[in-house]
Amino acid sequence: MTEPLLEVRGLCKSYDEGRIEALRGVDLSICAGEFLAISGPSGSGKSTLLHLLGGLDFPTSGEVLFRGAKLGTTIDLDDYRSQKLGFIFQAFHLIPTLSVLENVQVPMLALSPCPRNRRDRAEKLLVELGLEHRLRQYPNELSAGERQRVAIGRALANNPEILLADEPTGNLDSVNSAKTMEILKGIQKQRGMTLIVVTHENDVAHSAARQIRLRDGRIEA
Amino acid sequence: MAIGAFVGLVGFSRSFEHEWLRMYESTGTDISVIQRTFLNTSVSESSGEALRKLPMVAQAMPMILNMADLTPEVNALTFGWKADSYELDSLKMVSGRRFRDGAPEVMLGEMLAETLNKKAGDTIEIQGSAFTVTGIYHGGSALEAAAVVMPLDQMQVLGAMDGKVTAFHVRLKPLPAGEDPDHYMKRAVSAIEAALPGLRAVPASEQAHNNQVVQLAHASAWGTSGIALLIGILGIANTMAMSVFERTREIGILRALGWKRWKVLVLIELEAVALGLAGGVLGILAGTGALHLLAALPQTASIVSAGISPLMLLETIGIALLAGLVAGLIPAWRGAHLSPVEALRHD
Repeated sequence: MTEPLLEVRGLCKSYDEGRIEALRGVDLSICAGEFLAISGPSGSGKSTLLHLLGGLDFPTSGEVLFRGAKLGTTIDLDDYRSQKLGFIFQAFHLIPTLSVLENVQVPMLALSPCPRNRRDRAEKLLVELGLEHRLRQYPNELSAGERQRVAIGRALANNPEILLADEPTGNLDSVNSAKTMEILKGIQKQRGMTLIVVTHENDVAHSAARQIRLRDGRIEA
Repeated sequence: MAIGAFVGLVGFSRSFEHEWLRMYESTGTDISVIQRTFLNTSVSESSGEALRKLPMVAQAMPMILNMADLTPEVNALTFGWKADSYELDSLKMVSGRRFRDGAPEVMLGEMLAETLNKKAGDTIEIQGSAFTVTGIYHGGSALEAAAVVMPLDQMQVLGAMDGKVTAFHVRLKPLPAGEDPDHYMKRAVSAIEAALPGLRAVPASEQAHNNQVVQLAHASAWGTSGIALLIGILGIANTMAMSVFERTREIGILRALGWKRWKVLVLIELEAVALGLAGGVLGILAGTGALHLLAALPQTASIVSAGISPLMLLETIGIALLAGLVAGLIPAWRGAHLSPVEALRHD
């Protein structure tokens, strides 16, 4: 049997000194190259699970394993985020004072390759995403769909194994939503990446090869 | 502002010291003999006899130094020298002649003469007494160029210092063959202090640095600019704290994308250092401008020369960079330790 790429064991996360329990013992295995959608109503713990899978936060109990190694102990979270993951956020989270080309280079600065390689790679990614005419522009000069494509380019900057997308279509109209999902699925297939999407939209969830649904911090059967 | 104050004040005190040193060098004084204590700054004129008897002393000239109000706006350093003092040889007469002992006569430095619009043959009133300007001279230092030089006896009358002088300026005999200059100086100092108990013999270079007026100028310059620097550091720290707060989400993005804490810390520190450097450059410009202004004002022209030394420029840049670094420490530490999740939620 193939070893899972990501494995979650008894994951719990509570806030406010235990008064709010966002996750209550989640167990999950995700294989390399899989397209998984995590859905559920607001407050079900979807984003918390994504943050823990992405090494942005620490669980209250339980563990997240990447290729069998525990995040935060065996694997440094910063290295994990910079080398293994690409994040796509609902609010895009582009840096407004940097150009499109510079925004895509930001994750590469964490690994410090040479500036020329950085620029060439960012430019190549943006051309692939159809943004070759927007390289020198700033995020506030772009449409919402274009901003999300820049965010996708940034997520791919360090050629990660996993793409984590938190409500990637939440701020987009239906046309751009469909286009964004098409791009993400295309990337997942072409590059064999693992794609994990958190969404409350049924269309997006149904487009995934596998779905899990969270309710009250637990995976629904 | 802080760097401007530092450049202006410390530059002022250093140029003051530098002018003292130039004056000693131009007159050829090797040692200054003064009182040991700060409060009693006068020395008995009769000490000169004992000094002149010492085998290594070539000349020992009594002198008085004071500050005199010449007009409500202009005050000047005033030197009381004997008419045969070797120190007069360092002054080049531009017009007129030297003064004579016992006569109510003065010589003016050319800068002071220009400020007062006086020429040889004119009269000048000092402390209520009239003096004839016998000549205008060109001095080797800014201190001399804007000073009054008069007979020692006239200075003693003006300052109620009968039989007293401020110091003796000593010229040593040529260095004996084979003796190290430092050793010769130490030997001379010891001999003078042994011959005149209660008095201090200070090498001229040390006296330029250690004389009480220069030390007071240094202390007040460093004290005032230290306070200004502290205020400047707090200003940068406040700016950086605001910047970190306003860019909390941006920091969260960087951390989410895998930037390590130390990289975020370095980024914020670099900004603080750049802010310090920019302030430093503006401060240097403002401080240099202030020094030029002080060098042009009649009240201060005698003790300030315009411009700052390369060493002071480097020191100032160093202080500006250090101020930025120190000011950025706490904001940088706070920024680097933000939780990525909390930072991304920040509005």
